Amino acid sequence: MKPWDKLVRGGVLCAGAAVLALSAGTGAQAQDKGPIKIGVIAEAQSVAGSSIPQAAQLAAEEINAKGGVDGRKVEIVSYDNHSSAAESVRAFQRAVSQDHVNAVIASYVSEVVLALEPWAARLKTVMVTPGAASDVITENIAKNYDAMKYTFHGYLTSGALSGLVCDAGKDILVDGLKMKTAVIMSEDAAWTTPLDAGYEKCLPKIGLKVVDHIRFSPDTTDFTPIFNQIEAKKPDVIITGISHVGTQPTVQWKSQQVPIPMFGVASQATNSTFWKDTNGAADGVLFQAVSGPGVATTEKTLPFVKAFHDKFGNDPSYAGYTAYDEVYYLTDAIKRAGSTNSDKLVAALEKTDYVGTIGRIQFKGKGDPHVHGLKTGKGLITGLFLQWQDGKQVNLWPKDLAKGKLKFPSFIKVSSSQ
Amino acid sequence: MKKRLSTLQVLAISALVVAVTAILPFFVSGYILGLLTVAFYFGVFAMAWDLLFGFAGEVNFGPTFLIGVGAYTAGILDNLYQPPIIVCLAAGTLAAIVGGLVLALPALRLRGPYFGLITLVAVLILSNFVVVAAELTGGEIGLTVPDVITVNADTNYWLALGFMAVSGGILYFLSRSPIGLILQASGQDPVQTNALGFNVSKHKLAAFIVSAFFSGLAGALMVFYFGVASVGTFVDLTVAVQIIVAAVIGGRRTIIGGVLGAVFLIGANEALRPVGDLSTFVVSAIALVVVLLFPSGFLGLLSRLRGAE
Amino acid sequence: MLFWQILIDGFAISSLYALGATGFTLIFGVSGVLNLSHGALMVAAAVGAWALNSELGAGAYLGAAFGVLTGIVLTLVTYHVVVRPLQLSARIREEEKEIFILTATLLWGIMIQELIAYFFTNNAKSVLPVVAGVVRIANVRTPANEIFTAIICWVAIALLWFIVNRTRAGKSVLAASMNPRGVTLLGVELSSVYIAVWVIYGVLVGVAGVLLGMFLGVSSYSAGPLTASAFSIVVLGGLGSVPGSLIAAYAVGYLETITAYTISPAYRTIPALLLVILVMYLRPRGLLGRR
Repeated sequence: MKPWDKLVRGGVLCAGAAVLALSAGTGAQAQDKGPIKIGVIAEAQSVAGSSIPQAAQLAAEEINAKGGVDGRKVEIVSYDNHSSAAESVRAFQRAVSQDHVNAVIASYVSEVVLALEPWAARLKTVMVTPGAASDVITENIAKNYDAMKYTFHGYLTSGALSGLVCDAGKDILVDGLKMKTAVIMSEDAAWTTPLDAGYEKCLPKIGLKVVDHIRFSPDTTDFTPIFNQIEAKKPDVIITGISHVGTQPTVQWKSQQVPIPMFGVASQATNSTFWKDTNGAADGVLFQAVSGPGVATTEKTLPFVKAFHDKFGNDPSYAGYTAYDEVYYLTDAIKRAGSTNSDKLVAALEKTDYVGTIGRIQFKGKGDPHVHGLKTGKGLITGLFLQWQDGKQVNLWPKDLAKGKLKFPSFIKVSSSQ
Repeated sequence: MKKRLSTLQVLAISALVVAVTAILPFFVSGYILGLLTVAFYFGVFAMAWDLLFGFAGEVNFGPTFLIGVGAYTAGILDNLYQPPIIVCLAAGTLAAIVGGLVLALPALRLRGPYFGLITLVAVLILSNFVVVAAELTGGEIGLTVPDVITVNADTNYWLALGFMAVSGGILYFLSRSPIGLILQASGQDPVQTNALGFNVSKHKLAAFIVSAFFSGLAGALMVFYFGVASVGTFVDLTVAVQIIVAAVIGGRRTIIGGVLGAVFLIGANEALRPVGDLSTFVVSAIALVVVLLFPSGFLGLLSRLRGAE
Repeated sequence: MLFWQILIDGFAISSLYALGATGFTLIFGVSGVLNLSHGALMVAAAVGAWALNSELGAGAYLGAAFGVLTGIVLTLVTYHVVVRPLQLSARIREEEKEIFILTATLLWGIMIQELIAYFFTNNAKSVLPVVAGVVRIANVRTPANEIFTAIICWVAIALLWFIVNRTRAGKSVLAASMNPRGVTLLGVELSSVYIAVWVIYGVLVGVAGVLLGMFLGVSSYSAGPLTASAFSIVVLGGLGSVPGSLIAAYAVGYLETITAYTISPAYRTIPALLLVILVMYLRPRGLLGRR
């Protein structure tokens, strides 16, 4: 036992010393000299999150290779938050008060971003999220603009997502397949509330009657009852709003041979590993995305994907694209503001007009209920619509970027297909 | 373990430690203070758990039920009506006590794993409720509250430290009083304790209320520190696991050990950031080694070292 | 139609719950251990099966076999590294061992879960089913895999019953659970009995995990909820009582399925949780608990 005692005593002392050592770095205010520091708080273990620091790093290296921003290098400081809001708040505090970052790129989880939002206000530090979808983020800014203006929503809100799904649904489902009825199937979660409200409003407008609306617990593992209930209503299509779940409903959709296609927001389907995770059950699943393999949404998209692949050996997740763009337009705004002062940076960011990897980035202005959210629509961000086909994500929409044709596995009965 | 420190000695040492930590804001960065602030609140969670589990000897998986009820009541109230924060804190604490009573009713009839199950189910029901009643609670994305006590790191730190010190003092005093001894005795042999004429249920109920009081208040305070209430921070079973681990590796039946455990857990998680994804794994592994080799925890280890000298 | 759907779907999911819970209750009945790494072991088995097939292309059968093997090996490691040292420890008082084993297995479960997330990400994964396609039963289109799951679960449970009640080794296990000292006096090596029980437990965990992966899919996040669900079912049925666990598994499985069909899938788990509280209040030792 003696050696063990020593070892653990040493261990305890070490931990103590480490805590003290962390406390050593004090003083030094953020300066307008030296490198521009951008903090990245993300979920390193998840596929969507792990791309965030990687893409940010890639962007920083590219900028530095071209001489930096007015001669200043860009430095990425990343923090793993283990998907926890509490750990993110600590990371945010550390980033601002100890590492003196000039801005923060944070998380694709709405819970985390919402927890950080008041801290961005309190610590007057610009924060941009590359992936959270909650509408509440921008609503909070609208409610109290002067205090909350430091947060920018660098990804689409759920409300905006529902609009993009309907835009694609009009072309693919209504005009293409002459569909008439739909069932909305979404997880019972706060992020789907505005999404579902958007669906309820825009689906009838494009000519799809909503015959049922099923919300299920995000902890659901057995989807048999849900699919049976949907089938009983005999809709032409299932419009999805799922993120916490993905693999399970897809696998069960295939194993039960539910004859109705799934179409909509399915975050997990955007992962390149989704085919493997579902053993190919993903075949035929249609999902909204901001990027797709081989799809040149803008001239910057494919070079980014190639550079990312060369450097990290895999494809970026959706939050990777946005994080990459964010580093570019953040540094660009710092350049235009001529300062890293947060208030000046906010003013410069609001004037952002930047063509990135997912489209043209402009933020909604003061007075909009979703101020600091991304503008969407033609000429800005339209998103894509992809389908899993034989192990690959194939883009079907918009037409000018389409890489293939709609194709369903044999158990799907598209009754009125032309 | 035979050579136990007297109450007076413990008080003296603790007072000294508190005094030393109280002047930390003059020396260390706001970041370290933020870290310790969270650790102190966590310490209160662990101490409150220790009173109920350690002394009453019940396997309690439900600390986050009491914490969550306190945190969410305070947060929802603030979100809806924005009364003074002190009112929210009082309401949260009160709600946690009521929650403790409701939980105690069936729980007092049960022992061992059965007691454990009921506390576990309480947590699961609460987290289900939060998700289902998203209109009110913010659901899985959490509830942002409009007010915080202060953004000043020093003030937050002193508040947490003071709260932790006072709670620790009261809980420690209780545990050394006849109430604590009766609880301890009932944990070891309930039948005999009852036969000796002590009303075990009454004392356990008291422990429940005290535990609920401190858990609920700490939860509510933490809401106004973070500015947010979310399942992942206050209710989730993983939070309960951290509290239990903090109390066990700190040293059970010591009350103060909970604070040591909490500071260790949070400090270690931070110090291990370079390990990246594996930091939770490493912290769990260290905690497991402590449980396997030093069952009386850090405090037990310290007193053994003293004994060896 | 609705009736048959509920009957068939509820049966499959309940069988899976039953198999998962049987191992948990067996190990408690014989050695008094509540293994809170139970869910993590099941996830590890499922991920093992997934990985061998998806990463190395080994096929469904080999993958499943490897998954079960993963379950057995990890279960034995759990026993030797975590549980046995605590049981033998002289520094922990007997009445405290329970909480130590709970804490230690909890930590062990987290370690397994974190390792899985580290190597295979925390994305949900599904194991390639051994049988594919659908069958019509009473006009309900039922995946063949669902029937397969139910059959394997019951075969495993029946085999367990046979081993415990009809073989010599099994009888000594049964005896050991009732009176450990008596068995030692009869010259049966107690430690080998325990190892045998843990191996059986490992097989049950492995099979349940792989079936779960085929039927519903798992992620590293599933570990906690799986443990909680096995724990609820076992305690509800009465600790150490296999028939009690079976009844409880079916009660919980059907209650969840009925709720999902007739009320809303959003409230799926809530009635089952309320049932647990009710039973605990009326029968503090569970449905068929001893004493």
